[in-house]
Amino acid sequence: MSIFQREREIITRNEFVDNFDFIEIEEFIKSADKNLFISHHFKYSNKMLVQPRGGFPTYEKVFKLYEEFLQAGVDVLPLTIDSNTRLNDYATAGKMLALSEEDDVDMLNGYPLINHGYRTTRKMMTHFNKPVSLRHGTPDARLLVEMALASGIFEIEGGPITYLLPYSKNFPLDKAFLYWKYVEKLCALYSTYNEPINRESFGPLSATLQPPVIVIVIQLIEMLLSLEEGVKSFSVSFSQSGSMIQDIVTANVLMKMAHRYATEFGYGDADIHLVYHQWMGAFPYNKEYSDALITASTVIASMVKADKIITKTRNEAFGIPTKEANARAVASVQYTLKTLKGLPVVKDEEEEEHLETMVKDIMEAVFNDSADTLWRKVFNSIKNGIIEIPFSPHIINANEVITARDPDGNIRIYERGKLPISDRCFEYEKSQIKIEKGSSVVEKIIKDIGIML
Amino acid sequence: MKIQNMPKVLFDVGSTYFKVYEEGQISHYFRDFTIPIYQDLKNKCHKTIESHTPEEIWICSSANGGLSTLIIGSSHSFSLKYTVNTAFNSGINIIDTMLYSDIDTANPPIEKIDVVIITGGIDGVKDIFDSRLFEYLKKVTYNHIVYAGSKDNIEYLSNHIENLVILDNILDNRLKINEKALKQYLTDLYQKDIMAREDIKPLYQITANQIYPTPYIVNLSLPYISESLDVADPFIVIDIGGATTDIHYSTDLINDNITGEGGYDRLVFKKLGVYKSRESLIFTAKRNEYVYELLNYLGVTEDIFDSNSKEAVKFLMQLAIFLVLYKVSRHHGEYIELKLDILNSVVLTGGISKVLSEEDAVIIVKFFYKKLLNFHNTPDIVIDRNYEIWTYGMKHLHKKDKT
Amino acid sequence: MRVVTGVVGNDVHVVANRLIEISLKERGFDVYNLGVNTYLEEFLDALIETDAELLLISSLNGEAEGWCRNLKALKSKYNFRSNPLFVIGGNLGVGEMDPDALIPKFKAYGFDLVYHQKDLNESLDEVEEVLKQRIEV
Repeated sequence: MSIFQREREIITRNEFVDNFDFIEIEEFIKSADKNLFISHHFKYSNKMLVQPRGGFPTYEKVFKLYEEFLQAGVDVLPLTIDSNTRLNDYATAGKMLALSEEDDVDMLNGYPLINHGYRTTRKMMTHFNKPVSLRHGTPDARLLVEMALASGIFEIEGGPITYLLPYSKNFPLDKAFLYWKYVEKLCALYSTYNEPINRESFGPLSATLQPPVIVIVIQLIEMLLSLEEGVKSFSVSFSQSGSMIQDIVTANVLMKMAHRYATEFGYGDADIHLVYHQWMGAFPYNKEYSDALITASTVIASMVKADKIITKTRNEAFGIPTKEANARAVASVQYTLKTLKGLPVVKDEEEEEHLETMVKDIMEAVFNDSADTLWRKVFNSIKNGIIEIPFSPHIINANEVITARDPDGNIRIYERGKLPISDRCFEYEKSQIKIEKGSSVVEKIIKDIGIML
Repeated sequence: MKIQNMPKVLFDVGSTYFKVYEEGQISHYFRDFTIPIYQDLKNKCHKTIESHTPEEIWICSSANGGLSTLIIGSSHSFSLKYTVNTAFNSGINIIDTMLYSDIDTANPPIEKIDVVIITGGIDGVKDIFDSRLFEYLKKVTYNHIVYAGSKDNIEYLSNHIENLVILDNILDNRLKINEKALKQYLTDLYQKDIMAREDIKPLYQITANQIYPTPYIVNLSLPYISESLDVADPFIVIDIGGATTDIHYSTDLINDNITGEGGYDRLVFKKLGVYKSRESLIFTAKRNEYVYELLNYLGVTEDIFDSNSKEAVKFLMQLAIFLVLYKVSRHHGEYIELKLDILNSVVLTGGISKVLSEEDAVIIVKFFYKKLLNFHNTPDIVIDRNYEIWTYGMKHLHKKDKT
Repeated sequence: MRVVTGVVGNDVHVVANRLIEISLKERGFDVYNLGVNTYLEEFLDALIETDAELLLISSLNGEAEGWCRNLKALKSKYNFRSNPLFVIGGNLGVGEMDPDALIPKFKAYGFDLVYHQKDLNESLDEVEEVLKQRIEV
């Protein structure tokens, strides 16, 4: 038995797992309907796929949510996992699930997949027969992903960097890389049974003034780490920045570089997709304004030629949305997409070249690290501040980079910290930011964060 | 850059027996205490030694019983914590700590200390220490003394402490750990200590490589463990010896703000051995709130504490496993707290692997998980029967030294 | 001048924390930012390790009281060489509480300056003023 299979046996033998049947699961995936695989839809669909966010503690509530989504014309269903499960605390998740079932009050902010188990969850997934995307935020998602794939959930979001640095203060990054390596291997293995399992990176990061260069570098790295293990279908993603042209530039550079690095590393046969997240920052309290923001996001998603859009709701400023509000957003986005015909092709080649140069500079520095594996090179690069995420709570994050908007709303680098970008690029970035006389940098940043309020 | 030789023969020279690894095979030999280690080794393995060059032979050893330290630091959350963590990972066995603000009431250790480590403050911070430190140090007997604190105290301390070795500050200017210099110093010191011991010194006639502390090597081995044993992260390794009990744990089992990178940290319980510290093991056990349930569960009576039977040794080992788990669980605040609910594997090694059966180990771990976590299942339990874990790290040493 | 800062307790407001760090740096402080989810002991230990003249604790989720109630007892165990100024600010209470009662309460816990739902820049101006007076005295 391979080391990997032995590890799988141990991981799935758990207090909270009821007899994990590898053979039965393999048969299920081999004979699973193609409609369950988002990779299949990416291949044959000629429209942008629409996916909302959402998850509830109980089976019944998720079932009803999915019914609502289906009526609204959803393309991809989400399954958001609760925060106890994300921390591998299945005991608490189980207790809270029991309370939620008894009293009809949601004691969890998502679906505790481990406690429900794959046999139950699979019933729902096969009933709706739609592709489902697993949304979580777990550094050690080995068991969770085993459970998801066994349930018929064939898209897995996240990655060792994007699901760690924005969420955790001290979970060891080196462990996160190793745990995600397992996830990639598993997705690669299951991809050989039927249609490929799709992996998706989480580009929004901490969703606060993230400079495109950092987003792109991290997307490329997580893509390479995944393809390296044999994954054949991968989505890079990013979220609305606040400037349409910046989003277009980001999308073009991201896709170009993704294809280039994939080919260069020998993974040219993998399918790469682009996912666009509607505005991930603070939403207005006015629900009509929120509707307008969502529509504007949808237009940009079309302009950047996203393969999938992940939607928000008009209730965003008020906490977890009701299933009705959530479904309404899906219907409205689908409608907007239908109205968007004959879009112009817009390009800014100078900005693309500038962004590409910065991306290459950082990627080069990562590859030049002396470690012998890619993940260790990336680990060292994060430890040295060659890569950092603005507004990460993690102790390993350098916290030196400062970003702000230029007058057109583009996110620019104000302090570069240890990012290995050239003086020329950095001077250009910084010179774009105009801070009013008498105003402080912090006042400017606060304004720039809250542009949609 | 130091290009090392591929290791062909590995020795682990312990205090009661030594192990030899050659061409994928491990052999164990009980020490003959009537002759020096070197002679003993030559007698038993002369073929192996003669057929290899000193460059091809690599040795780790714990035969000096490990080093003892006294760490003096200025805060629990930073200087003390980082220094203790580094010392354990460097293979130090006995660690006493003193928070500097407690200096007026602290009792100096009675035993002779191998190395005193003084630390505290980021660079730029002055006047952390005063004459009370020198008065205190007069009451401590030690062989070596090092300083790994703020640069701005170096002059003052050097003027008052003889032979003070100065290292890089363990705190960097963001209050993060900077352990490299101290780790290097402590492993070098270990080597010097071994070289100074008359009985071990001759070992350098058969190897051209540095002799490393065994616990340090075990720690280096852990990233490779799943290549040979059925073990999945996060796991702990419990090494129950005659005098001390070592535990190595995956760093994601602890909720701590240390940015280390080895993946595994180590901790030693100095009074939980089954032979030399048998008395204190029993003393600790008798005060444990679960002891009577445990005796009952294992079907033995209290008399077993006074017995020297084979069964009693087995029982003491089970007891040691229970107490180690108890001491690192959230029910006990004294040591670190490990998230035992997410543990996937428990690896047992050391003398224990000769005595305990799989079943004996499972029984005791099951009791712990049932009683303290209310779990019906336990993590996977693996016994390192061959006592081979140390070899994984040894095989990678030559790669490590290249950078 | 050195300052230790961070967000107390189980509070993950990283944006506010980072903005405070940037503000303090802009004002010329050497900042030791312990980040989110920081415990009281860690703040006091950091003061010892850095000799900072200022401790600036922030709390955004309204749970500061539970975490800071023990400050006085804890402080008495430390011997600060730098006589630091203890400041707390942010959103210090939740729900129906009387905001006027908050300030004396936190002062009784051992804080020198307390800011509840106040503007960051104005508060920091005042903190700097108090620090300046202290040095002159």
